[in-house]
Amino acid sequence: MSSSRSKTSILDKPLSKGKGEVSLALYALLFSEIVQYCQNRSHSIHELQTKLSEMGYDVGTRLLDLYFVRERNSKREIKLLNMLLFIKSTLWKVLFGKEADKLEHANDDERTYYIIEKDALVNKFISVPKDKGSLNCASFNAGIIEAVLTNGGFPAKVTAHWHKGTTYMVKFEDVVIARDKCLDDR
Amino acid sequence: MVIYGIYIVSKSGGLIYNYDHNIPRVETEKTFGFPLDIKLEYENKKVVVVFGQRDGINVGHVLLSVNGSPVSGRTTEDGRDVFDIIGVKDSYPLSLKFGRQRATTNEKIVLASMFYPLFALASQLSPVPKCSGIDTLTADSFKLSCFQTLTGLSCVKFILVTDPNMQGSDVVLRRIYELYSDYALKNPFYSLEMPIRCELFDTSLHTLLELVEKSGTSNL
Repeated sequence: MSSSRSKTSILDKPLSKGKGEVSLALYALLFSEIVQYCQNRSHSIHELQTKLSEMGYDVGTRLLDLYFVRERNSKREIKLLNMLLFIKSTLWKVLFGKEADKLEHANDDERTYYIIEKDALVNKFISVPKDKGSLNCASFNAGIIEAVLTNGGFPAKVTAHWHKGTTYMVKFEDVVIARDKCLDDR
Repeated sequence: MVIYGIYIVSKSGGLIYNYDHNIPRVETEKTFGFPLDIKLEYENKKVVVVFGQRDGINVGHVLLSVNGSPVSGRTTEDGRDVFDIIGVKDSYPLSLKFGRQRATTNEKIVLASMFYPLFALASQLSPVPKCSGIDTLTADSFKLSCFQTLTGLSCVKFILVTDPNMQGSDVVLRRIYELYSDYALKNPFYSLEMPIRCELFDTSLHTLLELVEKSGTSNL
């Protein structure tokens, strides 16, 4: 009737270190299925990219706290540039095994930053047919970045483009830039 | 170590991919005197050699050019009918070029769908049970190797046409299978059994073939 050992729930166990490595083929097949799932429920390329981005958003929401605890010893970032660097190096490293290539600030617009990588891992086996034109399945990654930034206190909109490989255009809200300026002035 | 071409046949027997790498152009040009001793006929919109095989000009070869000007159908470039030119004594001596016509896509699809029942036949004729079908087919001028995938439901066949001295074609076929499973099967825009139209698959296949031609199959 009563078991001699008490059942420990997952919330009582300490946070695990994580697997570290997952089969690439398995991930590619899963991602291919995700794209097909979204495609069957969309009627246009823009809608497909939005759906992929939303799925990425759900993933990113769960990644934020986990990786701040694991990699940054539970200390969160409050400066804008450091947050972006966290995404470009640490987050990309644990997600895809390599850092993103470049982080750039737009010359004309202070609210816009660009994260650039030459070959997105999710696009490795995908050949976009000609009639899908500008579709970039890295919109999934854009959703992850958007979730990490927005839930981390830096509301932004992120989109993926075909430029120098894959470019994620990050557009912050004015509040964020203004607040960051105040932090610097202090 | 020349690779002539690659064909991929789907489970239902249809050709889903074809790549011609190095098909040698068989062409012979000769000067003829009147009367022409080769019998020509106009069939399937082409002027074809029907009788009188000699000197590299075989039955089935198509007339490619008359006196240097290319022939389309039965008319030369300047609009004259080929048979009129051949029938008139004044046009001689006449230089005619014959060659083997390249197979059109339709013809390739027909040929590939003929392979499929041949394989089935071979596996049934075998005196030993559990035969897997045709492995190699050797002719005097080429060798055809086939690799059938192991996953029973979708037995895609990879067919490689090479010169007769090719060694290690099964290694090449396994690499093509790897490329197929990477760039075709993991592509969300590719549906099974459909013709393969994936850019990444094409480019990596070309790279593989060039590598094989340059340095052989030893370092694959």
